[in-house]
Amino acid sequence: MATTATLTLASSDIAGDPVSVTKTATLTKAGSLIDLDQSTGLSRVHLRSATNKVLLAANAEGNNLAAKVYIINKSTDASLYVTVTINAQTIGKLYGGDFMFIPWSQTDTAASIEVAATSWTASTGDIPVEYALFHEDTDFLTNA
Amino acid sequence: MATTNATIDLASDITDSSLAVSNTTQLNTAGTTTGVNTLTSVTKVLSSTDHVDLITTGSVSTTHAYVYINNPSTDESQYFHVHIGNAVGSGTYDDGTLPTEEIGTLYAGDWMWFPWDVDDDITIKPSTSDDMTVEYMVFS
Repeated sequence: MATTATLTLASSDIAGDPVSVTKTATLTKAGSLIDLDQSTGLSRVHLRSATNKVLLAANAEGNNLAAKVYIINKSTDASLYVTVTINAQTIGKLYGGDFMFIPWSQTDTAASIEVAATSWTASTGDIPVEYALFHEDTDFLTNA
Repeated sequence: MATTNATIDLASDITDSSLAVSNTTQLNTAGTTTGVNTLTSVTKVLSSTDHVDLITTGSVSTTHAYVYINNPSTDESQYFHVHIGNAVGSGTYDDGTLPTEEIGTLYAGDWMWFPWDVDDDITIKPSTSDDMTVEYMVFS
């Protein structure tokens, strides 16, 4: 029962020589070589509000346990972005097509991951977002 | 303008029906189809458990960047707490009142990739005072 995440970064012209980085991580439980064994699977929501919405609710029991979060803005419009925050701290903006993959500590119950379709208006249409959580804490189930 | 692509592949057999996700995006400046044109690539060795700056806002001249951080260790006791917000050095760490938010813990062999709004520093706290290597790249 394994989950792997591979990131490939490639550019032929951002530097004087080509840049090519490929890194694969096998997702394990905190500080161990044991595979993560729980997942929400891949979920999809359509955002139609510039107000923050909880995508994944934190559970302080998740602190010091391993969890990985994948989020992607599936809009094909490069100008439409989703702002991602943790405990009101903005991490960054996912523009159309952008994705992120981060570990998630949940140091306390305020550390929920929230998203806002900041650039959304009635004329832009919904912004589709897909996400998945891989984790080891059973209590995530009632909060995801 | 440069052309830089980021691809993620996720494969999981945790669930009965396997998960396979593959997506590629071109790294563009904020809200455009113009490619980012600046790359910073750094390898650091840290030798204390102090909470320190990794990537400062002053090192990036835009308000939208992409960040890759890698923990190349193969020792599972060597991990990094990755924060966004001011570092506290050797001071009281993460007592709930500091202007810093822990994003997550980067265990040995883990990497992370995220967009950064360059509003607050990215800071880290190693788990041990052994020499611990961290690698990062910033595209902006």
